[in-house]
Amino acid sequence: MKTTIPYQDLSIIYFAIATVLLPLFACIVNCCLSGRRNQISGWIATGAILASAILSIIIFSKTWNSQQIHVQQLWFTIGGTQLYAGILLNNLSSILLLLVSVIALPVHIYSTAYMKHDDNYDRYFIYLSLFCFSMLALVVADNMILLYTFWELVGFSSYLLIGFWFTRDKAVQANKKAFLMNRIGDVGLLTAIMILFAQYHTFDIVQIFGSGGLISQSTITNGLWVSPIGSLPAVWQYVAFGGIFLGVAAKSAQFPLHTWLPDAMEGPTSVSALIHAATMVAAGVFLLGRVYPIFTTGELDILAIIGCFTAFMAATIALTQNDLKRILAYSTISQLGFMVMAMGVGAYASSLFHLITHAFFKCALFLVAGIVIHQMQHIKEDNDLDIDPQSILYMGGLRKKLPFTFLVAVVAGLALIGLPFTSGYLSKDGILVQAVDWSDNKSILFRLVPIGAIITTWLTAFYVTRLIVKVFFGDFRLAQFHPHIKYHISDGGWQYRVPLLLLAVACLFPLFSWNPVLYERAWVLAGFDSIHLARVNIYHTIVPIGVNILSLFIIYWAWAVYTGRKILVFPQTGFLFHLSYREWYFDKFYNKVIVGAVMGLSKALSWFDRKVIDGFINGLSVLTITISKIAAWFDYNIIDRISRLLTFIVQITGNFVRRFQGGKIQYYLFSMLAVVLAMFILKILI
Amino acid sequence: MITLTDFLIVSAALFCIGLYMIISKHNAIQILIGIELMLNAAILNLVAFGKFDKIANSGQVFALFAIVLAAATTAVALAIILNVYKKYKTIDPRKINNLKD
Repeated sequence: MKTTIPYQDLSIIYFAIATVLLPLFACIVNCCLSGRRNQISGWIATGAILASAILSIIIFSKTWNSQQIHVQQLWFTIGGTQLYAGILLNNLSSILLLLVSVIALPVHIYSTAYMKHDDNYDRYFIYLSLFCFSMLALVVADNMILLYTFWELVGFSSYLLIGFWFTRDKAVQANKKAFLMNRIGDVGLLTAIMILFAQYHTFDIVQIFGSGGLISQSTITNGLWVSPIGSLPAVWQYVAFGGIFLGVAAKSAQFPLHTWLPDAMEGPTSVSALIHAATMVAAGVFLLGRVYPIFTTGELDILAIIGCFTAFMAATIALTQNDLKRILAYSTISQLGFMVMAMGVGAYASSLFHLITHAFFKCALFLVAGIVIHQMQHIKEDNDLDIDPQSILYMGGLRKKLPFTFLVAVVAGLALIGLPFTSGYLSKDGILVQAVDWSDNKSILFRLVPIGAIITTWLTAFYVTRLIVKVFFGDFRLAQFHPHIKYHISDGGWQYRVPLLLLAVACLFPLFSWNPVLYERAWVLAGFDSIHLARVNIYHTIVPIGVNILSLFIIYWAWAVYTGRKILVFPQTGFLFHLSYREWYFDKFYNKVIVGAVMGLSKALSWFDRKVIDGFINGLSVLTITISKIAAWFDYNIIDRISRLLTFIVQITGNFVRRFQGGKIQYYLFSMLAVVLAMFILKILI
Repeated sequence: MITLTDFLIVSAALFCIGLYMIISKHNAIQILIGIELMLNAAILNLVAFGKFDKIANSGQVFALFAIVLAAATTAVALAIILNVYKKYKTIDPRKINNLKD
């Protein structure tokens, strides 16, 4: 074992291995337990993730801001290449390890109650454990091959979970879509890994991306990508960037591969909480964090622009959606856009910080959504109504029925908007400030990025307020449509309340910084290489104040609009409304252009197959049958006839000759006489 | 004067009568008689041709041998016919056809 650390720290490695393997262990144990609705399986999975969370807290406390721990062992050798497998614990992976296990814990607890009445309760927890395992392993993997393996496994387990209710056609379509979109990204990532290997002859993340590693020693000069090991044409560097970007875009739902995430809402809501907070979409941003040194300035600009566009686009779509989970899904895409943009503008630390804060408040919001949908489902079933339990059009006034849920939703919503005293403020305004800083030195067009981001913040304020007002304020609209329904709903038991409470507390500022106003003081930022922490210019004051004051106005405005004050009524017609309501026509476009093209191609190929290939084969078979029929006729009529003729002749001859052997002695004598006479006559004639 | 041709004609007639008897008769003994007739035709020829060998008279001698042999064979043939009769209760050669499959 090749270690770069003193002996006493080895225990951390064992802790890390245990953290990763415990969910896998729970998964295997649950697989072995029989019984379709085994209530124990939930507690096994929860216990495993609890142990993982505790271990990851220990690991985190020991590795945060200390020397990175990198242990590896020879895995296998191909030719001259030795491949090592190992664990890399630095600030990035230890905080992600903590985040994943800590987010997964409340989700597990919540799921034990949420999925209680599902027929496939144990299968759900098997998938959930597998999902957590793959994500935990992804963050500690120390080489690109392992990273890619678990990257795939994350995609696969999310596929299983999105299609958990596989009897619903929509769920099957959604998980197929998610899987296909992720395949595109996987191919990109794989391409990038192969290019990196071709350039650096190693898969090791520390060797390639570490400080003073191979990336930092390579340059692009005169169209060549030169590294200490060799050089390739510079275009390969761009291809590698493109591949990594595709991988990130697919996993973290960035434009143009974002359309799977809203459809992924077909899975159980608790799974959505996990996917959106910690396990799935975080992988893309995490990958960006891992491979960050490879990006050139131009590539970072592309990241910033795409991130900003995604954030803006998703926020505008979220404005008009009526499906509770779909709104949250688009808000996730929007926030992920923020993170990618932050990576692009160089706000590396803020991006990861936002990933962490976002995980908590988005998880809380999804769990809230789960409770609300659960209760709506109950009302629907109790009263035999034909409604969509996720549609916010039927909700309203739920704050009186679900006071605790309402409280958590408000806290998490405010964090999502990013108002002061919440964690969202600390991370989001950091990104905004640094985006403004970044565009300062660039041309005027780059100003659009911070402006877009700030507008997105306001849009976020609007749609979050709309969501909360529609769900929790006003009157219960379902009761207006159906005045006679009976309903008695509540916040639910401790399995619902405890996770929500934990997550709501994590949405507030004290967990991340003792100073609720100045994002620069957050301890998470100090853990990463941060050059933007100094309050160098006026933007650090203007931007947060300006953005948040306007956000407050927008919140009030939205509140006023949707509680029926009718300050301004939005027309639900017109191009912009439809653009947003139809989700910018991305699905339509993809279905028409890409799916249509693929289907057309496959139809053409199928036609070719049926008509040309099959036709050729059929022609051949007809020809063969004809030839064989001719041969059969020939065989029967010529060959057989000849042989039968022969036997016939032999038979005739035999019968003829047999007559002479009659046993009549005088006949013999007569024959002899005849023969002799004949010979004499012949002799005389000749 | 009786010429050689007359002898030969008589002999041929005898032979033909014998042959006819052999072929056409339904009685083994009559067939045997036919054989005797044919033999006698041959012997007559031997005697007739014997006038060309006046010194040794080998024709007459050979005829004597043939007569003796014919007598012997006839005895044997009669014995066979007797046995055949014992076995088949008939001496019609057309009915004695057990050799046929």
